Amino acid sequence: MITIQNLKKSFRTEEVETLALNGVNLNVEEGEFVAVMGPSGCGKSTLLNIIGMLDNPTEGSYNFAGHEVAGLRESQRTQLRKGNLGFVFQSFNLIDELTVYENVELPLIYLKMGKAERREKVKTVLERMKIAHREKHFPQQLSGGQQQRVAISRAVVTNPKLILADEPTGNLDSKNGIEVMNLLTELNQEGTTIVMVTHSDRDSHYAHRVINLFDGQIVTESQNRAIGAMA
Amino acid sequence: MLKNYLKIAWRNLKTNRLFTLINVIGLSIGLTITMLLFLFISSELSFNTMYPKKDRIYRVLTKTNDQFDNETWAAAAPIMASALKENVTNVEIAARIYKHNFGKTASIRANDQNYTEDLFFWVDKELLNIFDVQMVKGDPEGALNAPNTVILSESAALKYFNTLDPVGKTLKVDGRTQLQVTGVYKDFPYNTTLDANIMASSNGSWFYERHSWGNVSFETYCLLKNNAALEPTIAQMGKMLDDNVAKENQWYSLSLQPLEKVHLYSTSYQNSYASYIGSINEVRNLGYLAVLILLIACINYMNLTTARSQKRSKEVGISKTLGALSKSLAARFYTETALITSISIILAIVLTLVLLPVFNTITNQNLTISLLVNGNFFWAILGIWFFTTMISGLYPSLYLSKFLPREVLSPSLKQGKGSVLFRKGLVIFQFAASAALIVGVLVIYQQTKYLQNKDLGFSPENVLAISTRGIRGAENTNALMQELQANANVKSISFAQGYPGRDVSGYVLQKEESLEEQGMGIQANTADAHITDVLQLDLLAGERLPEFKNEGDTIVDVILNKKAIDYLGYSPSEAIGKEITLFYGATSKIRGVVKDFNFASLHQPIGAYAFHNHTNEGKSYVLVRIGSQDLTNTLSQLKSAFLKVAPDLDFNYSFLDQSLEQLYRREQRTAKVSVMFSLLAIIIACLGLFGLAAFTAEQRKKEIGIRKVLGASVVGITQMLSKDFLKLVVVALFIAFPLAFWAMSRWLEGFAYKINVGWEVFAVSGVTAIFIALFTVSFQAIAAAITNPIKSLRTE
Repeated sequence: MITIQNLKKSFRTEEVETLALNGVNLNVEEGEFVAVMGPSGCGKSTLLNIIGMLDNPTEGSYNFAGHEVAGLRESQRTQLRKGNLGFVFQSFNLIDELTVYENVELPLIYLKMGKAERREKVKTVLERMKIAHREKHFPQQLSGGQQQRVAISRAVVTNPKLILADEPTGNLDSKNGIEVMNLLTELNQEGTTIVMVTHSDRDSHYAHRVINLFDGQIVTESQNRAIGAMA
Repeated sequence: MLKNYLKIAWRNLKTNRLFTLINVIGLSIGLTITMLLFLFISSELSFNTMYPKKDRIYRVLTKTNDQFDNETWAAAAPIMASALKENVTNVEIAARIYKHNFGKTASIRANDQNYTEDLFFWVDKELLNIFDVQMVKGDPEGALNAPNTVILSESAALKYFNTLDPVGKTLKVDGRTQLQVTGVYKDFPYNTTLDANIMASSNGSWFYERHSWGNVSFETYCLLKNNAALEPTIAQMGKMLDDNVAKENQWYSLSLQPLEKVHLYSTSYQNSYASYIGSINEVRNLGYLAVLILLIACINYMNLTTARSQKRSKEVGISKTLGALSKSLAARFYTETALITSISIILAIVLTLVLLPVFNTITNQNLTISLLVNGNFFWAILGIWFFTTMISGLYPSLYLSKFLPREVLSPSLKQGKGSVLFRKGLVIFQFAASAALIVGVLVIYQQTKYLQNKDLGFSPENVLAISTRGIRGAENTNALMQELQANANVKSISFAQGYPGRDVSGYVLQKEESLEEQGMGIQANTADAHITDVLQLDLLAGERLPEFKNEGDTIVDVILNKKAIDYLGYSPSEAIGKEITLFYGATSKIRGVVKDFNFASLHQPIGAYAFHNHTNEGKSYVLVRIGSQDLTNTLSQLKSAFLKVAPDLDFNYSFLDQSLEQLYRREQRTAKVSVMFSLLAIIIACLGLFGLAAFTAEQRKKEIGIRKVLGASVVGITQMLSKDFLKLVVVALFIAFPLAFWAMSRWLEGFAYKINVGWEVFAVSGVTAIFIALFTVSFQAIAAAITNPIKSLRTE
């Protein structure tokens, strides 16, 4: 599904040029659950942003489901992203002014889906994430765990092929963290590919494969034997 | 403490450069406009305030009955001054002012040179006492006692005699009257209604001993005794009139106008010799405009400052946990406001100085920098600064200093709905004001255009009015006519008493069968046969005035306008040959009827008008219609032709169309000032909107990022951000339009001929306001929409 070859990304500030990614090669198969680990500043989030088509690489190639992404214009990336990708962030990134229902509905609106169909889909996903009873609440009125469930609902409501999760449990206590990881595993088992950036060893064990980044390069790659829920 | 506040304030301003810049620019423009308008207004209010006896000086007003359209005249009968002194005990002294030849220019010959003097007045000697005219040469008391004496202002003395001491010299008026200079007085300041360059003694003039209760042509000022009350004085004046004029012959009543009201409250008064009359309405309207513009600028400040409150709230929260009180925090925010307003006011003073000449040109004023350095202005600036600081700082200080640390320091702090609503309210107010100003600008522009382009019923273009005062005798007149006619570029010529808009006489037109003293006021202009050709009037019936009169033919030929024959009850063709009662002791016959034409300002509806050949009045002008080519040459040729016949007179002329434009000088000034300042007000409002949009984009950065990640397009984001502002603008339009309609309808009421305020004006204003708002906001919206979302979503 994802083929990345010799990917480089540099950031230029006034004084220095920082190489955030330095020749990354990575394949992710459909249905895989990959965890990306590494110390702060190693390039994890940059890699995730590029995979998520939020950013363009400086060099190298990135092929997503048969499309070459590197070098696409922003509008083209937006088109490719829509419906194919779902995002889960550490800080949830829900829109405070919208209710739970409206937050989850948003990506469907951007897909120009009809109202009835949207309703159907949002209802289903909220039920599934066990947050339907809160659909009229605003994010501020929910606990962190509940907010992340809403964020996951929003990420999966379009049935994306790939979910990108950036430290999804980083702002949660362990109980809620485990709950979120179980949800992601469930989604993966149903066929969704997941790429997750994490600091947490525990969370990385949910993945099939763990990639360790250091100074913009993949230094180790390991397969997890024990796959599945640990709770 | 203050130093500490100032330090924090200064650093804050430096950090938020964009906001500081917007605030300073907005406030500086607003303050500059306010200062310029303040200068203008204070100059208008300062008129006639320099006279030591100003509180006791009054002008006599003559209020006509309905026969003369119930007008108020600023002039009085020639007997008034002496009659007041004799009959009204409260009057200490009174004096007449009569502008040369009923308000015309005077041809002056002095030191063997010819001049035209616009400000030549014949006055009673008591005037010097009433107004405490300061003599620099000659006897301060008795300068005008003797017949045929004259005193000059210092600048007139220099102009005519090239010396400040011309006492004993003589000057010749209109080629006839010799006057001896007996004194020189200090120039009147610019801000006085009495602006004579030359004052000749009434002693020796034609009206000196005229004891008539008619011929209301003399501005009469009186000095009331100390502590004399106005009401009983006016009552005594009424009694005086009753005692001297039979009730049935009284076509006017008398009143007094305090000197302080003469300049600003006389726009509707007729027959005043004042060369510049101000308007209290104009002063008020410009005052409102100044306050409005300043408010718009202050609102920018309030809006931008409270919008940033989320950022500032942390500072407040921390200060409070460290023990700061709300009071001291309020002081701190006020310090910041004061710093901004101080910078702005200094900039504004500089801008005012730079722009004053431009403002003077636009407004035909002579406001000087000296106005800026007098004490009043200093206090005014201080007042404006204080007002601006208080208004601008009020909401931010109260709002920000009220924050509680618990709320402020919690990460989930959101701005209260109240503050958001308040800010929206302010934006609505600003845009309502802007939209109303756009409507105003459009209406003023349309009306001015309408006045300029209205078919007046005659053609004033390319017609010269050359003053012929001083040319006497048929021989000279004929010579002049021949000289002028010899010019190939001259189309037609007519000698006349006056021309539309100037120098005609008021009479009463009476129906034939009417026995009572009732009638209709009519303007009468004695002219020769060619007047209808020169003015290109449309003859509806009959013919023009006859070329020649047989000796012994005493019947006065009259051409009336349609309005006059409507009053008489005739159709144009019926009217021809009918006798009318117009001049005392002379039979008049209608010779022709012309289509109505606008002989006066378009503020007034068309009244009755007559051209006639009665010899009771002199002809002061020769009207010359010339071809439109080669104007400069033609003028110089006409001048040599004139000087050939009248070498002792100054060639003094005006173009009819330009002279008509004078009637709208004030409108044009109001129009220019309002248009210019309204545009600036709109720019200030846009600056505020720009800042607010920048802030909103900043505040919604995260939301925009999330939406983009979820698939929103740049267009979509831009629309989303613009829509919110658009809603406010639309609400503002709904508030602005009824108010603007009401205000502009009232303004238009002052014109007899006016445009209708149609829906187009509102459509154009609405679209313009929306476009301006969108244009302003979209800058920020697009900038926000194209920002890479990962920047805004990066985990803190």
